[in-house]
Amino acid sequence: MKQPAPDNAATVMAFTVNGRDVSLSVRADITLAELLRDQLALTGTKIGCGSGECGACTVIVDGAAVPACITPALLVQGADIQTVEGLAIEDALHPLQRAFIDNGAFQCGFCTAGMLMSATALLKQNPHPSEADIRMALQGNICRCTGYVQILKAVQEAAR
Amino acid sequence: MSLKAIGRSIPQLESGSKVTGQGQYTHDVSLPGMLYACVLRSPHAAARIEGIDAEAARAMPGVACVITAADFSDNRYVNFGPAYADRYPMARDVVRFHGEEVAAVAAETPQQAWAAAQAIAVRYTAMPTATSLEAALAPDAPEIHPPKPNLPRNVAQLADARFGDVDKAMQSAVLSVEGSFRHGIVWPVCMETNATVARFDAASGELEVWCGTQAPFFVRKELAQVIGLPLGKIKVRSVLIGGGFGGKSQAPEQIAIAAMLAVRCGRPVKLVLSRDEEYLAGKTDHAKVMHLKTAVDADGNIVARFLEGLVDNGAYTHMGPVYVSAMRQRLLNLYRVQSAEYKAKLVYTNKVPGGSYRGMGAPGIIWALETQIDEIADKLGLDPVEYRKRIANRPGDVTQLGWKITSCALADCIQRAADLIGWEQKRGKLPKYRGIGIASMIHPSGSVLYPEGNFSNVALTAQPDGRFLIGTQTADAGTGQNTILAQLVADKLELPVELFDVLHMDTEQNPDDLGSAASRVTFVTGNAALNAGGDLLTEFKRRLAEDWSVSPDAIAYAGGIFAHPADASQNVGIDQLAQRYGSIRVEGHYAIDQARPDANGFGNYAVSYAFAAQAVEVEVDPETGHVRVLNVASVQDVGRVLNPTALEGQTYGGIMQGIGMALSEEVLFQDGKPVNRSLINYRVPRIADTPHIAVEFIETSEELGPFGAKAAGEPTINATIAAVANAVANAVGHRFHTLPITPEAVLAVLRAREPKPALKPYKRPYNAEVAAVRAAYPAMFPAMQKLGAALGHKRPRIGSFDLRQADNLQTALDTLGETANAAKLIGGGTDLLPGIRQGVYAPALLLSCAGLPGMRDIAIDGRGTISIGAAVTLSQLQNHAGIRQWLPGLYDAIGQIATLQVRNRATVAGDLCQEKRCWFFRSATPCYRFSGPSCPCYAVLGESRHHSIIGAGRCAAPCVSDLAPILTALGACLHVVGPQGNRVVMVEDLYVWAGETVLRRGEIITRIEIPAAAGAFHYEKYARWRGDFAESAAAVSLSGDRNCLRHVRISLGGVAPKPVRAMESENLLLGAGLSQARIRAAAEAAVHGALPLKDNHYKTTLTIAVVGRAIAAALDALPVEMAAE
Ligand code: FES
Ligand code: FES
Repeated sequence: MKQPAPDNAATVMAFTVNGRDVSLSVRADITLAELLRDQLALTGTKIGCGSGECGACTVIVDGAAVPACITPALLVQGADIQTVEGLAIEDALHPLQRAFIDNGAFQCGFCTAGMLMSATALLKQNPHPSEADIRMALQGNICRCTGYVQILKAVQEAAR
Repeated sequence: MSLKAIGRSIPQLESGSKVTGQGQYTHDVSLPGMLYACVLRSPHAAARIEGIDAEAARAMPGVACVITAADFSDNRYVNFGPAYADRYPMARDVVRFHGEEVAAVAAETPQQAWAAAQAIAVRYTAMPTATSLEAALAPDAPEIHPPKPNLPRNVAQLADARFGDVDKAMQSAVLSVEGSFRHGIVWPVCMETNATVARFDAASGELEVWCGTQAPFFVRKELAQVIGLPLGKIKVRSVLIGGGFGGKSQAPEQIAIAAMLAVRCGRPVKLVLSRDEEYLAGKTDHAKVMHLKTAVDADGNIVARFLEGLVDNGAYTHMGPVYVSAMRQRLLNLYRVQSAEYKAKLVYTNKVPGGSYRGMGAPGIIWALETQIDEIADKLGLDPVEYRKRIANRPGDVTQLGWKITSCALADCIQRAADLIGWEQKRGKLPKYRGIGIASMIHPSGSVLYPEGNFSNVALTAQPDGRFLIGTQTADAGTGQNTILAQLVADKLELPVELFDVLHMDTEQNPDDLGSAASRVTFVTGNAALNAGGDLLTEFKRRLAEDWSVSPDAIAYAGGIFAHPADASQNVGIDQLAQRYGSIRVEGHYAIDQARPDANGFGNYAVSYAFAAQAVEVEVDPETGHVRVLNVASVQDVGRVLNPTALEGQTYGGIMQGIGMALSEEVLFQDGKPVNRSLINYRVPRIADTPHIAVEFIETSEELGPFGAKAAGEPTINATIAAVANAVANAVGHRFHTLPITPEAVLAVLRAREPKPALKPYKRPYNAEVAAVRAAYPAMFPAMQKLGAALGHKRPRIGSFDLRQADNLQTALDTLGETANAAKLIGGGTDLLPGIRQGVYAPALLLSCAGLPGMRDIAIDGRGTISIGAAVTLSQLQNHAGIRQWLPGLYDAIGQIATLQVRNRATVAGDLCQEKRCWFFRSATPCYRFSGPSCPCYAVLGESRHHSIIGAGRCAAPCVSDLAPILTALGACLHVVGPQGNRVVMVEDLYVWAGETVLRRGEIITRIEIPAAAGAFHYEKYARWRGDFAESAAAVSLSGDRNCLRHVRISLGGVAPKPVRAMESENLLLGAGLSQARIRAAAEAAVHGALPLKDNHYKTTLTIAVVGRAIAAALDALPVEMAAE
């Protein structure tokens, strides 16, 4: 834990992150993104807008890709949460991570965690998505660097 | 030499850390004992600061210190050099733009810092403003800065020169075209907002800074200047950077603020700008007005160009002069130009200062130039491709600006781009409203900037573990330049690239370098890196020569091995030598050996020039005005391609940013304040907008470039706007002179050719009154603004709230009903949480009822009546199997609401109850609905393209809930429980105004009921990007026979404060003998009674189209057996 547990208006809550059980005290007014980044030091999840508009903060909550920056932390009580830090197993990269590297699907990398999580949720539900399906699933994720071409390619490749 | 890494798609060195989330960006830096900072910004575009009282703020919990301008040295930022230095690190005495930094706080938590910043009392006296170019140049304009000698009021720079013999050249002119071109301001929108972590050690006097900057060199220079520390005591550290695009190429103000707070507090300080602050005060591109004339001779040779340009500098000078010279450079150098006359002014306005953005103004001027090239081709009856090839620059040319074109494959680029897009097959042969266009660009590579920018130093260290470390003060903001440097040195040393690491930015470890700007790194720093490689070999040879007692010249080096001249058994690998001798570090230098252009910009500006052509195919929807880019072909002459995947990526990215500039990106202002401060209505391209893009490179070896390369990443944006605009012109037969080419601009042109729709405003009795008030607005507005400022209520802003989850209905009702609780229901939070930050909501307590019985259930009975719990998410509803069976139109409809991530959180009740999205309201402008009845509606005179055309009165915000029109058309009702009992509310009757409902304090929606529908349902929505709020939407539910409808309900979204029923349209559709003409009449009747505002007339045509499409689609969806009845 990076910051001492805050005490005012804090509630103890339990949930799992990347398969790990976590229980900690959480302030009512923080978001899931802040909880992950500040209290659990999982800074792979980025905040690009804080308003649900850019997708940089996308994490998977109970199977669904959601913007963590507008999800109140207390509302994920008991949930199963996946973040970018949970994608690779030991040193073995997830096929999506591999495909993102091989296809140059990131430049600055700030949108990458969100992209990967949106794509992970998609492939879980739909292992062989069409190009249109991929566009639909990633429409909430802004990338300013790549123009999306190589991201589309990478997701298609990972789905093969 | 064998080239192993160059020319290969080596993945970025930072790949692993970027895909696993392990990489550290400034946002992620955390130091022990770190404080958090918050900046207080000016709420005025121009005002005198009469006093700042920070006593209360200083006494607040957790506050460590408060700073203002008085804490800094008396120096201004250097920025563009002493002649232009006009900005202090924080506002002194006067603020000159909305968002300018006035004070800053450091506290234990971000919330405490925010709260304390709100508690600082600043007394302002508002001053007259000049927020547009015209206003700033008007004779009675207020003086934004004290006048400069020899310059007119509000002019920061004046450029005026002739090149070549204009008069003589004009003698052979047979034809000229002339026009004014205008574009506004775009934001770079780096995904990582600007942020800084600073640490000051009082004992050593050292200041360390972590910040996402493209130019550590400038950061140090500026900090030394304004903080008053010796340069040697300031160290910039290495971080990953979440995007730059020029937007981080100067030293942003928040770096100095965080640094000063760290100095004052003696503790590390972190300052992260919110996206909203980034919009207010992060630097932008520069707006321009360009009056351009191009004259040609009988063969089409450009004999002269004339340009009068105005560049909007904003309130302070950062990179404005570069924008002035960028216009001149293209004017004289894009194609062969015999002479030119150039006049430009850099003009101060009370707006956010311009900085730099990819292309540095080139995309805008190239758009103007290339528009006229097309016009001339038209007039001469030439094919645009052939004509461009004829006038293209050639190797060996020396331009009238003194540019010496060495390698140049522009004509080939043009032909190849045309081939790739299918020019021959398509030009003139495409269906109506499809078009193709082409444009070219030129960009300097290895520019002669100023003395500091012409050199580079790169450190190279051989380490005992056999690896090599390249150290550079340039900063890789994601372009992959670190990887390129590793590739260059690896090949120089004939070693695998895997052996190389790059430490960028760190100014303590690495030698001086200007940084990453102006497309210079590949060239200047690349050459320095190559030299470092060479120096390392020399150094090793020198040492081996001593050991071996031979001459260094006798030692051969190949494939990583130093060969002993006589005894092969002594041969040694380069990776072994640091073990033998210890770490060895060399520094490679490179300097551009070329004189700077003169004061008029004349002279060879760069070592070489990159060229490219882009061809674009677009499709225009004639009913909505929406331009869709279908295909792009980009062919670049970049010298040698060092890393194909990286360069392709840069190209795609540049093209998409260019498409944004061409079609959708635009900062909208009210009194100098940017109002569309969100990624919803500041529209950057998203993945659905990505067309098919073909990218090719023509390799012309550039002798001086590292391994023959030229600059490549930045300029891929340069030709895009022009190519898109030319394609649009080809599609619609009209040339646009304002950017972006919005749907409303296209519709206005197309509609001018057709009869206007009859709006019949008398059909709404109040329209006469509304029209009268609107007519009086220009006269009344200033007084209303004053009155509002005096009497309007300030919405409370909260930094913190409580959140509870109700476990039974009664406690929920009690909690909500208790006024003192100031409680508000939360669904998914997708509107509420951003709204709290914007100051729209200020609840002390959020109450979630999602856990109550039935709240998340969907039930469908045997007849098809659908009951939806209030806390059901949009995704849950969409994916419910019964929905697809009973109401397939609803499945498609929900798919058009927001983005998937938001649908996964947003609830049905939340969608219905969300607040309005009017940008004045959302940007906390003291308007009628934000601050109360004493205040005006800003949409009447301001930017109103988003607003209502029907039924707007005192407030013009439209209904943005999608479910509102959908459920209205479906005849759905809400089941509501409340302190006074239960009731049922028809969705149609839910609203009193946009985002305001009839629900009373303490009432809770428990479920929504959609009656069984026998016929068909369709929701048609036009939004600027898929997932945006509707500009216009129509939900149609109908039943009966295709020729004889028995029941019709139509509800409109996005055009009126409420989800209005289009009753007249409904009536027109009912009954026997339904014909195309009646459908058309019904669609047109939907806008009867409309009273559009100044900017949103397009919504009337749009709405007719949307309603027509919705009816047609619903008819198509009528069950076949029914149609056959
Ligand atoms: S940071 Fe959450 S959507 Fe942008
Ligand atoms: S890689 Fe930079 S925003 Fe996507």
